[in-house]
Amino acid sequence: MINVEVEHDSQYTYQTEVELAHHLAYLRPRKTVWQQVLSTELEISPKPDCQTESQDAFGNHRTFFTLSTPHAALLVRSRSVVTLTDRYARFDASQAVAWEEVRDALAYALDRPYVAASEFSFLSPYVPRLVELRAYAERSFAPGRNLAEASIELSSRIHEDFTYSPTATEVHTPILEAFNKRAGVCQDFSHILIGCLRAMGLSAQYVSGYLLTKPAPGTAKLRGADASHAWVAVYCPQAPGQWLELDPTNNVLAGSSHVRLAVGRDFGDVSPLRGVIRGGGDHQLAVGVTVQVLDAAPVHQPIAVSAQKQTQSQSSRGQSQSQS
Amino acid sequence: MSSDTMFTQDSAAKGQRDREQAFALASKLAAPVKLGHYDELRDASGTLRKPWQTFFSYLGEAGIAGLPQSSETIERLIQQNGITYNVYGDQQDQTRPWSLNALPMLITPADWRGISTSLQQRAKLLNTILQDVYGEQRLIRGGYLPGALILGNPGYLRAMQGVKPLGGVYLHVVAFDIARGPDGRWWVIGQRTQTPSGLGYVLENRLTVSRVFPEAYREMRVQHVASSYKRLLESMTSAAASIAEGAPRFALLTPGPYSETYFEHAYLARYLGLPLVEGADLAVRDDKLYLKTMHGLQRIHGLLRRLDDDFCDPLELRADSSLGVPGLLQAIRAGSVVMANALGTSFLESPAVQGFLPAISEYLLNEPLKMPSLNTWWCGEIAAWQDISPDLHTQVIKPTYATNAATNFQPAIASLLNAEELEAWRKRIGSQPDIYTTQSYLPFSQAPTWQGDEISPRTAMLRVYAIASGDGEWQLLQGGMTRIATVDPHIVSIQSGGSTLDTWVMTDQQVDTYSMLPNRTRLPRWTATEQLVSSRSAESLFWLGRYTERCELMVRLAKEALVLVSTNQQDSLPALNDAIGALGRLHGLIPEGTPSLTKSAAVFGRTLIAQLIQKGARGLLDNLERLEFSLKAVRDRLPAEHAEIAQSMKQMLLHNTVHPALVGASHAAKSRTKRVSRVAPRNPIDTIEVLDVIGIQLVALVGFQSDRMTRDLGWHMLAAGRLIERLVNLSGILVAFFTHAAVYTPRGFETLLVLFDSSITYRTRYQRQQDISALMDLLVTDETNPRSINCILQALKGEIKHLPNGDVLLDGLPEFDPHEDSVLVQVEMVRALGVFAANVSDDISRRFFALAVDRHFAS
Repeated sequence: MINVEVEHDSQYTYQTEVELAHHLAYLRPRKTVWQQVLSTELEISPKPDCQTESQDAFGNHRTFFTLSTPHAALLVRSRSVVTLTDRYARFDASQAVAWEEVRDALAYALDRPYVAASEFSFLSPYVPRLVELRAYAERSFAPGRNLAEASIELSSRIHEDFTYSPTATEVHTPILEAFNKRAGVCQDFSHILIGCLRAMGLSAQYVSGYLLTKPAPGTAKLRGADASHAWVAVYCPQAPGQWLELDPTNNVLAGSSHVRLAVGRDFGDVSPLRGVIRGGGDHQLAVGVTVQVLDAAPVHQPIAVSAQKQTQSQSSRGQSQSQS
Repeated sequence: MSSDTMFTQDSAAKGQRDREQAFALASKLAAPVKLGHYDELRDASGTLRKPWQTFFSYLGEAGIAGLPQSSETIERLIQQNGITYNVYGDQQDQTRPWSLNALPMLITPADWRGISTSLQQRAKLLNTILQDVYGEQRLIRGGYLPGALILGNPGYLRAMQGVKPLGGVYLHVVAFDIARGPDGRWWVIGQRTQTPSGLGYVLENRLTVSRVFPEAYREMRVQHVASSYKRLLESMTSAAASIAEGAPRFALLTPGPYSETYFEHAYLARYLGLPLVEGADLAVRDDKLYLKTMHGLQRIHGLLRRLDDDFCDPLELRADSSLGVPGLLQAIRAGSVVMANALGTSFLESPAVQGFLPAISEYLLNEPLKMPSLNTWWCGEIAAWQDISPDLHTQVIKPTYATNAATNFQPAIASLLNAEELEAWRKRIGSQPDIYTTQSYLPFSQAPTWQGDEISPRTAMLRVYAIASGDGEWQLLQGGMTRIATVDPHIVSIQSGGSTLDTWVMTDQQVDTYSMLPNRTRLPRWTATEQLVSSRSAESLFWLGRYTERCELMVRLAKEALVLVSTNQQDSLPALNDAIGALGRLHGLIPEGTPSLTKSAAVFGRTLIAQLIQKGARGLLDNLERLEFSLKAVRDRLPAEHAEIAQSMKQMLLHNTVHPALVGASHAAKSRTKRVSRVAPRNPIDTIEVLDVIGIQLVALVGFQSDRMTRDLGWHMLAAGRLIERLVNLSGILVAFFTHAAVYTPRGFETLLVLFDSSITYRTRYQRQQDISALMDLLVTDETNPRSINCILQALKGEIKHLPNGDVLLDGLPEFDPHEDSVLVQVEMVRALGVFAANVSDDISRRFFALAVDRHFAS
């Protein structure tokens, strides 16, 4: 058991004043058996005229807020403390059943009971069904092979075959492009793994969250230097909670270093912060994320230095990205 | 026929003879139907069916022989009323006239009773399914509907899970496509649950065909359709009862002029008395929906929407949609807006759903489905695919998820495929079966249509509409739209060139003659919305006024320049040439760097003529196009005659031809033009003729507006736009004529009068004397000359005072003394007024128009 604190700042600076803004945030961590949420707060400045908290269809916590007074900057800061338990500490992958058995249980047939997890076996906006992904995945899914082992191997292959590169893709790069380049960031790796698993008839979720990292030996942890993260959960009835969480970016199971924000079919269901603004011109975004074990105090440093800045043009449907 | 008893024996015998002759003629003209299709016209023995006997007996021999004329009349009416259909939604010039055949589709009372009760049941069933899917999901958990067809369909919206629509009504209106099989039984082919189209065309078809066959229409007890439209509003009103104090306010949400059925949106909006709005006209504040109007934000309680789900809210749905309203879903979830129809119903349009409906009907309604769907196999259920695969040649293969481009494809009629193609399809389906659905092939009935010189049968499919009646039940609109195939008996689609039939539902009861026309009923609540002018309508009307006036000025100026080009240069002086040259450059008639008239009249003339039809040069063509665009955007507020006038002016300019719709409207114009199909390099004389015709059309446009439009806020915006443009332009012209000293030349004096359209008045008053102060009196101060600066200014002030808080706009009004004697001071006053008018235009757009565009981002 480990207590982890996450602080996530998004600072928008607009070229001209924004007259009206609608935002949707998925920034409060999700409560699960393996993740207790001790505290969570969202600080928005300037103060919204209207703010509502609710749950979405997947049980994620979401926040809508509206600013209808002109503003030239927006800061959204979330701060949460969670207690993590290693979900897979006692999990024995060899106990899982053959992947075809799970695939068949997910498919519709008149006499078969409904499996709720099948909702994540269908294609979704960011993850179309692609023959290329199926061909890539099939090498790990020999007939009769154990589902957990096959999935873990597939995740490892993606880790091996793909180059982590923040410049190779952006938020809306189609996964086929990232797949053909064999490069991308955690979002791409996750979408590709999801696409592969679904192509095999399995169910897979996109998990948005954070990764607890250790500073290099001998250096202090820098504030704001972490990033949002994303990984994948595959439906595996023998796994704790029936889902096996795979992190293809780091080639690990999502154990006690992964803080979960939200789950969905893909990035589009759970993007941490999105908005529609009127006015504003070009905007700059500075993102700072700090994930730390609660007892160790890090060296403080203002977010602007380490934050990633990006200027966006009006026509490019301004997307920004800060993920590992 | 009760009137028969009035006849004497002789006339009865004669009537019988006439009828038989009419039947004989109709039968002679009628071609046989294709084998295997039900014949709507004749029974198995070849005798005309009863309703058709009645129809043809009212037409009589003469009426049947006159069918070619009837067809022409229909075509003309459609042209005149500007009924169009955009073939490709995203291309501007792809509108084409609506296609309507002269002969109606006849439905007997007995047939209709069956259709009516069956489809009422279906509408209720579909609404109940939606309640379950967005509520408990018993259907999915119980295996009544595969999850793939709901959760796997992009049409299912998770954002709506657990949300109950106001009044419990998801489907305020639902459309069913039905057809008759070879044995005469009706089948459901498909259902439209999201934004069923056609209600406007149903009305137009009815108004057109009933005018052509008034007697048959009246005597055959054809049900009227108007009351269904009222019921649609009532259904929305009752759903909104809990959120509106007093009468709720609704709007019709359209994707805009590029939508394939935009004509219909505008038409319906006008008919129902709803403001036609686009997403940018609406805003959500505090989870409530508002319309941006000239009076600020006004609460809207419901939307009759023709915008697809995906586009409705860029915050939660398609981020790249600029057509929607950010926050709309929040407002819907907060229960503050009625959506007709609710968002998230389109998954019911998948053909795959049809196969599961019989069992669902038993489960949810405890009764069997009254009208069958085509036999349907969703191939995603492996057992079903294995079942039907050997019989694939009997099937039509359709996409399960047609709304997703990646999984959509052109349906295939498998009986038309050879063995090899069939095998290729089997492979294709086997590789991802869930995206394929097959349905038994049904040869639809063939209805009689008039084609050139014969009564020719065409494969027909009938679209009927069920409208919620607010008490948990649905009523059918008593009519519908029958769509017919071109020649290919298999494909019924408007997009691939089909046509439509007015659909006559006959009754053996009292005919429902309700009419929505305002002179027949009092509709007190619409008077309140009449003043509700959305910011975008205001903007379009304002610019319509400005562009109309601008085009008129350009036409006038171009004509005068061409007169100078083509006449003897001896009596023209450089002063006038310079003034015309400067004005020509200012108004986009000639590009910068064109040699002056004095230097080379020929080059000047050629350049000007070429520039008239140059795109992207701020020239006449561009301004006519902007005029057309503004006009389309406020189609719901303008008299019908406007529809084709702009397009016809463009055609005149580009091809020197008169649009057929205008032949009736301006005979004078027509007689002056040669009908030449294409005239590439025009000479000045021909060009002047073309400009004359366009000038007349512009005057006609303004005439229609002045004559037909009610003097509401929209009108005041239009008039203000026109007067502002006129003040700016005429002030500029007057100043230019003094700056270049053109007014002091005899020819320049005349030209200035022409440009002010005041030469006749001047001549009546002062004959041939050229006196500058008399000229200034007429053009600047005279209060009786509608083209004088003073008169325009007074009229403009009048219009501006009607705008909300309009007086403030007049704050910067410069000193204007009509008794000023000094010509130079007068010219200065006129210049200042021109500047003032331009400023007022800016003020108006800042105050009343929604200028900013929404942008989306995510991180």
